[in-house]
Amino acid sequence: MYKRILITLNLIILLGSSFKEPLTIYNVQKGLVSFRSDAPLELINPISNELRGIVETQKKEFAFSINIKSFSGFNSAIQKEHFNENYLESNKYPTATFIGKIIEDIDFTKNTIVSVRAKGILTIHGVPQERIIKSELTIRNGVISIRSNFTVLLEDHNIPIPKVVHEKLASEIKVEVNGELKPK
Amino acid sequence: MMKKCLLFLCIVLSHQLKAQLLGIRHYRIDVSDKNIRIFTFIKKSSGYIYLGTSNGLYKFDGIKFTLIPFKNNVTNSSITAIFEDNHKQLWIGMESGDIGRVLSGAVSLFNPEEGTPKKMITSFIQDKLDKIWFSTNGEGLYYMENKHLYNINTDDGLPDKYVHTLALADNGDVIAGTDQGLSICSISGHKKNILNLSSKNGLPDNLIKVIEPAGDNNFYIGMQDGGICIYDHTNKKFIIDQTSTVKYGQVNAIMVSQNKLWIGTEDKGLLKQTGLNGLVNEVETGGKNSNINNILQDNEGNVWLLANNNELIKTSGERVSLIVNYQPGDFEKVHAILYDNQSDIFRATPHGLIKYYKNNETKKQRIFNIHELDEKTSITALYQDINDHIWIGTMGKGLFLLNEISGEYRKINEDRMLSNGSVLSITGKGNEIFISTLEGAVHFSVTKDPSISVPMNYKEYKGLDSIGTNYIYNIFQDSKGRIWFASDGKYISVLENGKFINYNDKNGIKDKVIYSITEDIKGNIWFSTHSDGIYKFDGRIFKNYSVIDGLSDIDISAVKTDHQGNIIIVYKKGIDILNPETGQVSYLNASQGIKEINVQDLGTVAQDSSGSILVSTTDGIICYNQLTQAIHQPRTILENVQLFFSDIDKDSIHTFSYNENSFSFSFTGLYYTDPESIQYKYKLEGYDTHWLVTKDRTIPFPKLSPGKYTFRVRSSINQIFNDTDEASFEFTIEKPIWTTWWFILLCLISSGGLLYWFIKLRERNVKKVGQLQQEKIIFQFETLRNQVNPHFLFNSFNTLITIIEDDPKMAVEYVEQLSDFFRNIVSYRDKDVITIKEELRLLQTYLFIQKKRFGNNLDLIIDVSEEEQLNNFIPPLTLQLLAENAIKHNAVSKETPLSINIYIEDDHIVVSNNINIRISRAEGAGMGLQNIVNRYNLLSKKNVIIKNDIKHFVVSLPTLKKQVR
Repeated sequence: MYKRILITLNLIILLGSSFKEPLTIYNVQKGLVSFRSDAPLELINPISNELRGIVETQKKEFAFSINIKSFSGFNSAIQKEHFNENYLESNKYPTATFIGKIIEDIDFTKNTIVSVRAKGILTIHGVPQERIIKSELTIRNGVISIRSNFTVLLEDHNIPIPKVVHEKLASEIKVEVNGELKPK
Repeated sequence: MMKKCLLFLCIVLSHQLKAQLLGIRHYRIDVSDKNIRIFTFIKKSSGYIYLGTSNGLYKFDGIKFTLIPFKNNVTNSSITAIFEDNHKQLWIGMESGDIGRVLSGAVSLFNPEEGTPKKMITSFIQDKLDKIWFSTNGEGLYYMENKHLYNINTDDGLPDKYVHTLALADNGDVIAGTDQGLSICSISGHKKNILNLSSKNGLPDNLIKVIEPAGDNNFYIGMQDGGICIYDHTNKKFIIDQTSTVKYGQVNAIMVSQNKLWIGTEDKGLLKQTGLNGLVNEVETGGKNSNINNILQDNEGNVWLLANNNELIKTSGERVSLIVNYQPGDFEKVHAILYDNQSDIFRATPHGLIKYYKNNETKKQRIFNIHELDEKTSITALYQDINDHIWIGTMGKGLFLLNEISGEYRKINEDRMLSNGSVLSITGKGNEIFISTLEGAVHFSVTKDPSISVPMNYKEYKGLDSIGTNYIYNIFQDSKGRIWFASDGKYISVLENGKFINYNDKNGIKDKVIYSITEDIKGNIWFSTHSDGIYKFDGRIFKNYSVIDGLSDIDISAVKTDHQGNIIIVYKKGIDILNPETGQVSYLNASQGIKEINVQDLGTVAQDSSGSILVSTTDGIICYNQLTQAIHQPRTILENVQLFFSDIDKDSIHTFSYNENSFSFSFTGLYYTDPESIQYKYKLEGYDTHWLVTKDRTIPFPKLSPGKYTFRVRSSINQIFNDTDEASFEFTIEKPIWTTWWFILLCLISSGGLLYWFIKLRERNVKKVGQLQQEKIIFQFETLRNQVNPHFLFNSFNTLITIIEDDPKMAVEYVEQLSDFFRNIVSYRDKDVITIKEELRLLQTYLFIQKKRFGNNLDLIIDVSEEEQLNNFIPPLTLQLLAENAIKHNAVSKETPLSINIYIEDDHIVVSNNINIRISRAEGAGMGLQNIVNRYNLLSKKNVIIKNDIKHFVVSLPTLKKQVR
């Protein structure tokens, strides 16, 4: 089901220019993803501005992805290396994605601020998990701003925490996503 | 002699009699004249009924509706689903899609990270893994697991996003009723397994409104247009209800009680059905209640209906119901009734009997006429024997035996006494039948035989003459085989081992007229009297039960035992149910809709094999069913405990400080059957010495003194509180800290310690003063000894001699200085301290004398300002002694001049001199310095610092700021 959406969305991205009704497809222009591991001994708060994604407003379908290696702002270079190699294995699983459908019906043509829930598959570290993620949408003059906060349990995505760093790495990672989407 | 007659058989038109509920009461929630919509209700484990309304959540105690406030601000307060989970936590689902929980007396909205639905919540369920599921109208269903909320909707394979109801299957599957059929959902890992069952699988209608467990993994399904059916989850099959006589319309609710189905419909009101494919009755609920939204049964057996979305209706449920309606005039004519083996009902008419029965699931009547009877005779007793023949006892026309299948009957003429006798009662057990008549008692033995013509053996109880009366109302054979006779005027007798024993006033029985006898499970004999209540005979004594024991009336017409062992007492205005174990009595009376009961005729109380009891009332024949799980006494609930008028957490706080001493306790005796009758008995142990009876539900206790207390409260429907449910709250008000033994002890110990310390300090001071005194004396002695040291005098005089010759004027000055020096020594010696100025003057006098001897080889340099000289103090003769020591211990010559420096440094007065060790040491060396050190130890906390670096000898004396004493 979601694979199909992914394929169609990819097709849309590829052939986007040839579509007749481009207004129903919104693309991420600017996007920031940050995550926060607030462990007793260490706070890790890296950020990436390489959020990519599209929203198809008629079918309410969406796909977002982030390049794991693009995260920066670790407390040390070695930490970033561990993050990429030991925990998220970014060579093997280079992206994290969230693909699905918005639960609520929204009129994307009106200027408004609404809270919506998106039901989809969140894939991190190659492990897909169904999630509902609550976001705040600000629609202003055809530009959609998305802001959402959610929690990722490392355990849900088979990300092992070695015992030694237990006090330095939280088992619940808080993720914040901010994005601005414009019609393609 | 035996006459066989053919009966007039008459089958009356089958009647669509509307079964009638008793005890109907209507309730509405009105808030400032606005009628509140009621969406749903549940019975909580505490017994309380909670209602979800357009105004929020209400708790109903049978009298008033109490609003449970919202903790959060809500724009839409409509509650459409309520659920109690396994931890007794109450969940609420709202029209807005919000989810809430009742936490410490208020509804708190549940705020998961995933957000809450935007569509109406319709139902909750908790699965076997404790996961909470809820359904929505428009977003499918949700479940909560491991801090996350998950959704199941059409994209996961749910047939429709509108889910109206949820149920839990025995294997843990969640059964969802949607607009497109049933959906069987389960979660394995994170995989959603969904099996859809619809009309293709035999479901009569896909639009499912309600799912109600039917036991054995079966579920009753209520549909919008397909009536009801059973879903067999084990075989995933539907069992269709074939009833075609009644169109259900939309089914909103199904409730199962005593194997009967109560069905709430959208248009047809309330229906009752005797199981699937059973007889369907429309049930009158009073008023226009075409729309029944929900049904529940409380712990007492009352059945509650939610009607027209705004009305709460209480009914007596299955416990008591009207099963035969009388036409006007019937009541007076019915002198006997019978509940036969098929649970069909016979009632007497002036000419015979009417049988009420069911045929092809419709109610029918059959009339049996007996020609011998006329308007003036009445049938007084009915009995069905082991051959299913009906024994009919009459007043003045003897006894008849009827075969109800063939309609044949005959008069029983075996015993001459019966031929035209007046029968008072017919009782029996197995093949033994006891007939009591105005003339005496007869015992028949029947054999198994379908024919009524077979003559029967009989025996008259001639021995009754020994009692003195033949007027027997009731004969009862107990479990031990004894036969009991209830007589008019001669109390009660028992036939045991061929002998009659009469129990009478000598045994404590106060009424001569006994009407009815029964036996409880433990073998005690119970009987009712004409006007002295009932008696229990345990084999030794007769115990009377009367109004003070909780009975409603003392004019009892019959006692029976129901299948739970309760003693059923029938009187004119109702039925009392007495629990022989506890002595508790509960009541069925006007509040359950019972009108006047026939107590004139002893034959109008009947019992069937299941223990149900029938009585004849002005409205018709009513049936009392003992419900297996029902409670008959109020449940006492301590609602809250208030401290200074604000609620406290009564489950966790039990200790209060001495000034937290004004309490009030609120409680409820929950008894929906008759809430107004509840009275309370309470006692605050530690304060009250007696139990107090009240109708108030809040009792204040202001200003309690410290101590241990237990508030105990019981509730009762009849002021008899023995063995009634009790609620209690134990608490302690602590004594003020200063009255506690440990505080007093602590105070004593610390003041003792303080005193000890003070004494010690004083002792030390005294010792110090003494020591100082001693040191002073030593010092004075030392100084004097030094100054009267012959060497000093000798040296001084030698110097003087030299000066006298050279400079007589100077000699005079020298002597003056010398005498000044000795005078000062004498005047300062008693003082502890003197100013530095005074000391320096003394020192200069001394140095003047010595300088005459050593000339310029001895030098004294003083660098102490005038202010410092006046403000700082020093023990007398200290500097002098140090200078003297310097002179004494050092060689003073031209080659080795001695220079003594005196200056102030860091609050110390420092005496420093260069060192030129003298070869021959003077006497008394070290004594003076040690004495100074000792004196300073007593006078100051600071120490005297002595430094000797070969070149210089430096003594630093702490300056004293104040004059010590």
